[in-house]
Amino acid sequence: MFNRRKALLAVATKGALNMLPLSLAVLPWGILFGSLAIQRGFSWIEAQLFSAIIFGGAVQIVTVELMAEDTPLLTVLFSALVISSRHFLYGLTLREKLRTKPLRWRVGLGFLLTDELFALSGDRRAYANRYRLYYALGAGGSFYLAWNAWTAVGIIAGAWLPDLTDSGLDFAIAATFIALVIPDIKSLPSLVCVLVSSILSIIFSIYNLELGLVLAALIGMLAGFGLQKLRQAQ
Amino acid sequence: MTLITISLLAVITFTTRYLFLEGKLPLRLGPNIKQLLSFSAPAVLTTIFVPILFVHEQQLDISLTNIYLWGGIAAIMASYKTHSVYWTIGVGTSVFLVGGTFL
Repeated sequence: MFNRRKALLAVATKGALNMLPLSLAVLPWGILFGSLAIQRGFSWIEAQLFSAIIFGGAVQIVTVELMAEDTPLLTVLFSALVISSRHFLYGLTLREKLRTKPLRWRVGLGFLLTDELFALSGDRRAYANRYRLYYALGAGGSFYLAWNAWTAVGIIAGAWLPDLTDSGLDFAIAATFIALVIPDIKSLPSLVCVLVSSILSIIFSIYNLELGLVLAALIGMLAGFGLQKLRQAQ
Repeated sequence: MTLITISLLAVITFTTRYLFLEGKLPLRLGPNIKQLLSFSAPAVLTTIFVPILFVHEQQLDISLTNIYLWGGIAAIMASYKTHSVYWTIGVGTSVFLVGGTFL
């Protein structure tokens, strides 16, 4: 019994350690969000609550701005839905692995299912057994704590910190995601998928299309899938 | 009102994450859909980092003075060679910072 607990704790720690670079990379965004919320007139409890129960990056930064401008509620909610819509893809991708797990695991890991946790879920045997579930809990849970800690730093120190939006700290995020994507490119179809998604994501961000990034990803997926089908047919 | 809005936002983000993990949802994924979804990770994660490198103030920036691009190229090469998260971030950020002092 004791050994089993120790082993579960060990895999959860491993998950947290593998998540560490991502937990650190979102530091500027967490601080940015915390200080932004205070600057826009939210109380510290409200600001922290965003990170504690919404637990999203872009969605928090956008909705806090919209709410400060007294945007109609439905517009705020709809924007949040659009920004979060990529998570539908994550749920679909992990559906076969998680749908038979007990409710508390599905709800817990579902709540923790950020871009970052999804990025660490690529292994074929991810979520397959109790140890793998604890690994994911350690990864996702530690990321949750980090996001909330950085938010708190932003809330407390935001007023004294220089504006971090233009400081180049967002490069850390880019480098982290590069580290997650490049090793995943193992075939021509996956390379084509990444190239198509890249080009479309650039075009759609220039035109600032709200659903653009999800669309860019979907078309990239179709390109990779189509090529793979073609090659299988030959 | 603010607390209600924050709670509704939490419901929305949670729903987008949880919906398809629900086993009772009457949905079967065929082999083609599964194959398509196997591309979701590289596709979505790419759309997160590529605009950071190429698009600044809603303009395409492919000039030689775009240090994000230099740092990005360095990170991609480091990742390709080492497959290590730490080397990728280390090499990419170093080039980004050194480039920033020159450009």
